[in-house]
Amino acid sequence: MASEEKPEVADPTKAAAENPYTQHYVVQKGDTLSKIAREYYGDAMLYPKIFEANRDILSDPNRIKPGQRLRIP
Amino acid sequence: MLKRTTWITAMAVLVLAAACANQKGPATKAVADAEAALAAFRDDAARLLPDDLSAVDSTLASLKDSLAKGDFKAVVAAAPDLSSRIAALRDATDAKKAEWEAANAAAREQWSVYAADLPKMVEAIQSRVDILGKARRLPRNVSQEAFDSAKSGLDWMTTTWAEANDAFNAGNAVDAAAKAQAVKDKGNEVLGLLGLAPAAS
Repeated sequence: MASEEKPEVADPTKAAAENPYTQHYVVQKGDTLSKIAREYYGDAMLYPKIFEANRDILSDPNRIKPGQRLRIP
Repeated sequence: MLKRTTWITAMAVLVLAAACANQKGPATKAVADAEAALAAFRDDAARLLPDDLSAVDSTLASLKDSLAKGDFKAVVAAAPDLSSRIAALRDATDAKKAEWEAANAAAREQWSVYAADLPKMVEAIQSRVDILGKARRLPRNVSQEAFDSAKSGLDWMTTTWAEANDAFNAGNAVDAAAKAQAVKDKGNEVLGLLGLAPAAS
């Protein structure tokens, strides 16, 4: 579906209730969750933590898109 | 002559006894009045001006001791000063209470902000500490020393935040808000240790 090609944005009502202390990262071209996990946690194997925190906008840990704003718990 | 001396002595004793008896009522009333006056604001004074209350209590105890020993004259003589000191203590307690209530009202407003904010701060830090605790190595911007400090800082925050809640629930918003601010300050420090940018306040 065409809508699947657009970067997904979190529901604004949910965003309002989000934790303001949670770090965020905007996905860049070439990023993977493992790469992001290695950057933020020092360990690429911890990528499921990022995936689980973003289940509202991610359905597959291997499919992230540039422009997506991910929570880094 | 002897008869006359005896008669004068007897009269003197009677007059003295009558004088003492006349003082007993006022002395007893003075002590009772002092106790009643203090009782009216004792709890507030004990909380707000404990040293001053202790000094007045000490004087009152001395008067009660004199009353018990029958030294009514001493009680009556000292009663006005005690009464003045009790009145001064009551005024000081009232002023302190008004000051405390104003500070407490302001602190309650601050508390509502802390109560909405700090649990989220603790949650975010706890989450990151838990995740980094499982990492095989730490990220480049977090040293082992910083991570250890962050963990002990988080423990301190959790304990102090619980104390702040206890203080607030006990009606002491001033103490609660002071502890909450300390938690926030420590939280900002810990966020820095973990490489997490503090949220804009």
